[in-house]
Amino acid sequence: MSSTADKLIDDYLKRLNRELAGFPRARRRELVDEISEHIAEARADLESENEAAIRTLLDRLGDPEDIAAEARERLGIRPKGSGWDVVALIMLLVGGVILPVIGWIIGVVLLWVSETWTTREKLVGTLVVPGGLALPIFIGLTATSSELCSSYNGQPEVCEGGRSLAASILVISGMIVLFLAPIVTTAFLARRRSRAIVLA
Amino acid sequence: MVASQDALLAQMRRGTLQYCVLSLLADEERYGFDLVRGLAETDGMVTSEGTIYPLLSRLRRDGLVESTWQESPAGPPRRYYRLTDTGRAALEGFRLEWRRFRDAVDHFVERTET
Repeated sequence: MSSTADKLIDDYLKRLNRELAGFPRARRRELVDEISEHIAEARADLESENEAAIRTLLDRLGDPEDIAAEARERLGIRPKGSGWDVVALIMLLVGGVILPVIGWIIGVVLLWVSETWTTREKLVGTLVVPGGLALPIFIGLTATSSELCSSYNGQPEVCEGGRSLAASILVISGMIVLFLAPIVTTAFLARRRSRAIVLA
Repeated sequence: MVASQDALLAQMRRGTLQYCVLSLLADEERYGFDLVRGLAETDGMVTSEGTIYPLLSRLRRDGLVESTWQESPAGPPRRYYRLTDTGRAALEGFRLEWRRFRDAVDHFVERTET
């Protein structure tokens, strides 16, 4: 039983820690320490320790997201280097177009250095889609040039005839997804960022 | 109850909560858990216990309370909170204003009920 309880509490504190991303380290540690002290006291107070009791205890404490929101408001937390956050988002999206490969990598580095986003958000920002808009643009250019290439060889039929209607639709929708995904990701990260910023 | 009323009540709670904390500390120092339970057990004051800790952090930063570590009878040491002189002055100031405000609002709001 005690291991289930430990796991529930551990998960809760981890979530709290994640929600406090962007806080100055000292404030973050202070809050997590106090909440875990509270949990330890409340736990010692329980008549019998079972899963339901631990869940009730954590419910009374409240959602880590609410605690973090309250802390942002009370402490007037504004993440450090927020100007760089904007640069990170721009470079992630179009950096690879401006400066092939390197531009996007700069975006990734800035993203991971920032304290604004949680690790999960940073993973999404990196993996959806690697290269940002440069990837679909690159694929688009390659596809076009290869078609041109084959028609130079005097065999345009091979290029066009080799692709059925279904395959074309698949390719086009794939391209649309590749174009939209990095835009959606950037919008998502921008929204998370604005949520993290509350002026004192 | 209309939505704007909910928001207003939430704002009033938020604004007055810190003075409830200071009041709880007026006569004796208390450790965090004890303080938070004391507030959370009064109906209508806070929605969750955890949201009180950011406030404690703020009060400490503003120098209205201070905390010290003390041994507990059982278990690890506890962080005790107590009022500073600034905190005491802030509480006294609020008490006076609050009474005036409460009486003024009562004067209008309670009249229709009797």
